[in-house]
Amino acid sequence: MELFFEHYALFIPLIIAQFVLLIVAIIDLVRIEKTNGPKWVWALVIIFVNIIGPILYFIFGRRHD
Amino acid sequence: MSLWFTLFKKEWLEMVRNFKIIWVPLTFLLLGSMDPLTSYYMPKMIDALGGLPEGTVIEIPYPSPPDSLMMSVAQFDTIGVLIIVLITMGLIAGERKSGVAAMILVKPVPFGFYITAKWAASLLLMWLSYITGMLASWYYTGVLFGWIPFGEFLTALILYGVWLTLIMTLTLFFSAVFKVPGLAGFCSIALAIVINLVSGVLSHRLKWSPALLQTYAGEYLHSGEFSAGTFPSILLATAAIIFLMVFAIIIFRNKELSG
Repeated sequence: MELFFEHYALFIPLIIAQFVLLIVAIIDLVRIEKTNGPKWVWALVIIFVNIIGPILYFIFGRRHD
Repeated sequence: MSLWFTLFKKEWLEMVRNFKIIWVPLTFLLLGSMDPLTSYYMPKMIDALGGLPEGTVIEIPYPSPPDSLMMSVAQFDTIGVLIIVLITMGLIAGERKSGVAAMILVKPVPFGFYITAKWAASLLLMWLSYITGMLASWYYTGVLFGWIPFGEFLTALILYGVWLTLIMTLTLFFSAVFKVPGLAGFCSIALAIVINLVSGVLSHRLKWSPALLQTYAGEYLHSGEFSAGTFPSILLATAAIIFLMVFAIIIFRNKELSG
């Protein structure tokens, strides 16, 4: 782990980016009327699947019609 | 012209509302920073986790700065293209399915305006995301492996960006032709893969193929000079983009008027 603390400043933008993605996905999930599949599953995916969870939600979870 | 801007603003507003304007650039940012970071930390991570067995001699060399940047471009060429196609394929087809297109087009809106406004908004979003991703990759490459001069970086960025623009236009074209978003996406991906494969195999014959722009961007970063096929492929890509837009408008108009 010390390896990462050594250069921790490098990872700050990525951690922020990931955090913003998570927040935005949650906000969208709360506001949207219907998703493809149950909402609570998408909530789990967004929160627990690192990095790609929110992206998967935006691509496949939103219902476009 | 103000009518066109109204349509453009509508597209933009929609992208803000469904957060595309945030998540697509952020995805590209993560995509772009992944490769420089993993290629820098992988040897250290192997060491930290106990190292390789005694006696194995595997040198994992650090990539040169251009190689590191081009690894990120390779990511954009696979996952990035996939994301661009997935978010573009429903733009017209989806609106026709849901009836929004009909609602807009009962008003005296020229078909050309409708399609070019969509194209311009997607173009803006795509370049915003792509530039974000490339800047991230350039920054991490610079910090970890050595800086690429900004001018050269910008040139390489534009070279590959032309190919991404072509893919985006192609997807929008298929979206105007087909009513089902999935079909439009599938056709664009399939065509992009075929063009990529054929250009890769016959690269000495098809020097003007826009799919080779990725190679040309890499060669430019290494040598500082443009390869022979660079400008023909940019010209061809530009011609193809104009051609696709014109035909998208014509086909869309005929379909809407007849049915």
